[in-house]
Amino acid sequence: MEQNAIIAIIIFVVVYAFLIWDKIDRAVISMLGAGLLIYLGVTTQKNALHGVDFNTLGLLIGMMAIVSICQQTGMFQYLAIKSAKLAKGEPWRILLYLSIVTAVLSALLDNVTTVLLIAPITLLITDELKVTPYPFLFAQIMASNIGGAATLIGDPPNIMIGSAMGFSFVDFIVNVGVIMPVVFVATFFILKLIYKKKLKVSAENRERIMQFRELEALKDMPLLKKSLFVLGLVIMGFMLHDYTHVEPATTALFGAALLILIAGQELHQTMSKVEWTTIFFFTGLFIVVHGLVEVGIISSMATGMLELTNNSPENAMFVTLWVSAVASALVDNIPFVATMIPLIQEMTPALGGEVATMPVWWALSIGACLGGNGSIIGASANVIVAGFAARSGHPIGFLRFMLLAFPLMLMSIVIATVYMYFRYI
Amino acid sequence: MLASKMMSTDIITLTIHDTLDDALKLLYDVKVRVLPIVDDEKKLAGVISPRLLLRRVLPGYISKGYLKDVAFAPDLSQFMENIEKLNECKIGDFLEKPCCLITPETSAMEVAAIFVNADPPLESIIVVDDEKRILGLISPVDIFKRLWEFNNKQTTP
Repeated sequence: MEQNAIIAIIIFVVVYAFLIWDKIDRAVISMLGAGLLIYLGVTTQKNALHGVDFNTLGLLIGMMAIVSICQQTGMFQYLAIKSAKLAKGEPWRILLYLSIVTAVLSALLDNVTTVLLIAPITLLITDELKVTPYPFLFAQIMASNIGGAATLIGDPPNIMIGSAMGFSFVDFIVNVGVIMPVVFVATFFILKLIYKKKLKVSAENRERIMQFRELEALKDMPLLKKSLFVLGLVIMGFMLHDYTHVEPATTALFGAALLILIAGQELHQTMSKVEWTTIFFFTGLFIVVHGLVEVGIISSMATGMLELTNNSPENAMFVTLWVSAVASALVDNIPFVATMIPLIQEMTPALGGEVATMPVWWALSIGACLGGNGSIIGASANVIVAGFAARSGHPIGFLRFMLLAFPLMLMSIVIATVYMYFRYI
Repeated sequence: MLASKMMSTDIITLTIHDTLDDALKLLYDVKVRVLPIVDDEKKLAGVISPRLLLRRVLPGYISKGYLKDVAFAPDLSQFMENIEKLNECKIGDFLEKPCCLITPETSAMEVAAIFVNADPPLESIIVVDDEKRILGLISPVDIFKRLWEFNNKQTTP
């Protein structure tokens, strides 16, 4: 094997190992890896930039900016409190309604922001109800990953797959989104069996919830109207992609600029709310994976995968679904998907072209998004909720979470397998 | 003008063996904003301030800024319960590291700059010697007071 290939593999493996070790910021690791690739001459800066998917970055930045402005309106608090009151303070129903809100917001915005906003209110509600927050937070993690899987913008793996392949918002809803309500119902049916009877609340504590004044949470009505208007426009822009052929990144960034303008926001302030560490993590990661592509490793891996699956798109679909699910439960799904994208692209001709390979992409999306539910470190949303839980004195144990979450995740993949069998074969 | 000339030296301190009740009484009666706590060797062990105490009685998701506006919740049971629990606590549980310590040689302008740029806002700055023994306290008003006196002395010989 030539020297460049060996360097690229070593850098990739070391970067991956540090990401799993999770002690140093992931953005720093991926940028160091990308820098080393260029310094050691495996690739040039010019070529490295070809590996960076600016559509993914633009979409992330645009949505982060829009959501940061929406956040100021208090609409998330309003929705959470409103749903708790609609549930009449009854704990299981609060759990269910909050999870539905989480799933829908995860699909329409993104799941990380959603849990960042809903989890603190959930803790406040469970404090008032004097019940343990664990089942509520557990359910929210499940809901955020299931909801996020349903759309192009819901979960980073979908953003990456959609950007790389030019799949639209509607493509994701029609191929991936349709099965998510089934997964949600099945998951919450099991959670109901386990938790409904255990959650008991006194009438007095229920009354405390009913005294919340959700309208007070809506701080800025004009801003709320403007935010909802732009959010609606942006989602419509995503949906019309098939006609307009405008990439999602353009739509999201245009929407962000429009909202900053009509809401009279300070640009500096909005931009400082964008999670730049995530953006730089993606950039570095794209370059590290591109290093593998340039030295030909990905294409030899693709040859191996093709032999394994007998050049059959059906086999490739099922293998991708299950491997993605298990891998995404154990490691962060973002680097995994970043590696799988060029791999599947490389396999496409042998599998019979782009149309025949479509189901493999949906398998990657479903596997990577739902696989995130398998462990507490499986997805960014999980890690954030776990952080809140620990700070509020109810830490979510790694094994305790996995004991229920991993089987539930496997069940969702079985559902997906049945769905994909009937849909694509 | 140096910190040693501006600081007020008649400061009230408590030791780590006093109770939180003592601290609260002092904060209430004497209306000091920061209460330095010293250890057995008279060295600064930490400070107690009403703002820090409030932070402790609020649930973490509010005091850490994840939920800044709680207008929708008229009152939270946890807030009242935590305030009641304060009585049982020892002073040691509430010690916070003082955000800023200065030496007596620090200049007036540097002290002023620290106050203006402090985040979160500071109520007073503690002046300590090399051994971390407390020499005095400076509040923003002290700077003006002493500088004013100093100027007056110079213009009216």
